[in-house]
Amino acid sequence: MADQVTSRFTPSESAAADLSGKTREVPAGIIVNAGSGSMESGAGSVVLEKKSSGLSQMNKQRIARWVAVVAVLALWQLSGLVLKPIFISTPSNVFTSFFRLIGDGRLPKAFFQSLLEMLGGIIIAGIVGVGVGLLMGRVRMIERAFEPLVAFGNATPSIALLPVMEVWFGIGTKARVAFIMVICIWPLLVNTYAGVKAVRGNFTDVGKAFGLNGWKQTWKVYFPGTIPFIFIGIRIALAVGAVGMILGGQEIGDTGLGGLAETFGSYSQTADLISTIVATTGLALILFALARKIQAWRFPWIADTSAGRRIA
Amino acid sequence: MTYEVQTDTRIGDLTTMDQVNAAQDGTPILQVKEMCKTFFTKERTVVALDHVDLSVHTGEFISLVGPSGCGKTTLLRIIDGLEQADAGTRSLDGVPLSGISQDMAYVFQDINLLPWRSVLENAALGLEARGMNKKDRSERAMEVLEMVGLASFATSPPYTLSGGMQQRVGVARALAVRPKVLLMDEPFGQLDNFTREALQVEIAQLWAKLGMTIVFVTHDVDEAIFLSDRIALFQPAPGRITEIVDVDLPRPRDEYDVRAHPRALELRSHIMSHLRAGKGLPQ
Repeated sequence: MADQVTSRFTPSESAAADLSGKTREVPAGIIVNAGSGSMESGAGSVVLEKKSSGLSQMNKQRIARWVAVVAVLALWQLSGLVLKPIFISTPSNVFTSFFRLIGDGRLPKAFFQSLLEMLGGIIIAGIVGVGVGLLMGRVRMIERAFEPLVAFGNATPSIALLPVMEVWFGIGTKARVAFIMVICIWPLLVNTYAGVKAVRGNFTDVGKAFGLNGWKQTWKVYFPGTIPFIFIGIRIALAVGAVGMILGGQEIGDTGLGGLAETFGSYSQTADLISTIVATTGLALILFALARKIQAWRFPWIADTSAGRRIA
Repeated sequence: MTYEVQTDTRIGDLTTMDQVNAAQDGTPILQVKEMCKTFFTKERTVVALDHVDLSVHTGEFISLVGPSGCGKTTLLRIIDGLEQADAGTRSLDGVPLSGISQDMAYVFQDINLLPWRSVLENAALGLEARGMNKKDRSERAMEVLEMVGLASFATSPPYTLSGGMQQRVGVARALAVRPKVLLMDEPFGQLDNFTREALQVEIAQLWAKLGMTIVFVTHDVDEAIFLSDRIALFQPAPGRITEIVDVDLPRPRDEYDVRAHPRALELRSHIMSHLRAGKGLPQ
């Protein structure tokens, strides 16, 4: 059987070496994932295909994925025959509601308002959090001074600060952005601080040996060395920030996607409510994808070196 | 106790002893006096350097050789200013040094190219630190990359290069600042044998061409014999220099088989027996 099997290696070099160990018995047309990478990334995966087979395993898995989605949607649709639409509505109702809400402009308006508030909050949190994290990591005095404050702030459930933001900034955009910011700042600050501390002594030795000192060493060695940690912070901040975005919209003056969901919920417009939730999920997914793209585009070395362990 | 040169085993027609003698008799460019360093850990106290003296002559290639843990890397780091000594002084051209010297450059064992910078930007790091403008430092970095044969990789990320190529960039980065003294810490220790030999020849040629002074740390006796004018032998616990051997082999040494040269064999066996006699190696 072995001679009927053609093997095709995806780019990973290590996968080739792993092949003999990982593929004990290879049925025709099976996919053997020899490494830790996922199928989409292609890292470390080995695809073995039988020349004359019908559906490849890859296609079968794709089909399985769609079948699951369609099955859930179908069950949901069928539930409409039994349950009142007020509970979970039906996919067809949500579908029409979604486009009606886009058509009358309510969903796009809420979407972009929430998106802007989210971006505003996370950008301010990024500047402050990364800045303070870097300073704490590099300046002993600032580290000592801020340590207890950061421990206290990080431990405070940020949601408890929502009324504080209302008191400080009134009911409006400022308070919502500030609320998202106080939620997002902690993962960014704490990760940056930890990142500075984790920059390899080897890199700082290089900076030192070649004459970088003071802020030049911080800017040219410590800051770039910390960027992998900052991206971890950004991903966490996006997840918790999205919660703040919805909560802020609901609690601080009924606007954005949170406010829209609140309104639809209170009038039991379930299809409209679900449409709004879908839009919220879409917003979060877009931001996650954006962060991933920026990392891959501007900082390819993060993925390249951590995979190969050749430098970083 | 110095090793006596046995003149009868030299090969006459290859001799460039004048050159070697000139280097040895030259004025010291780098002087280390009474250098002491002790490391304290929970388990034990390690005396890495115990009143070490070393004079490096202008233009010479000197190697520090000894078993691992004998303090040779510590001495090199102290010379550069990367490590603080407990006691002792160092001076360059008669001027006492403190902190990092701008006139010396360091080549690291684990290379340590910064992955977020291109090969060119890595080579230009020292120039950037010295405040040179972008155009000038790019030109200078390109020059040194050409010297090590990597000009065509200038825009590549460093981690896409092989180990040998990465260390060439490491050498280029050091050469770019035009150091008076080049400090090399087991620079070829992580490379395979073929790459290592190729780089040994390259560094010997660069040294001859640029007329630099090089202080080279290695535990490879053959490497030290191939490259050096003099070899300082270290012994551990406490770390100290117990002998300095003159390598009176003709240059250029890539034109004959140094290892098979009778004088090299003598030097080798002398060095090995000396190191074995210390505490570091089994008899």
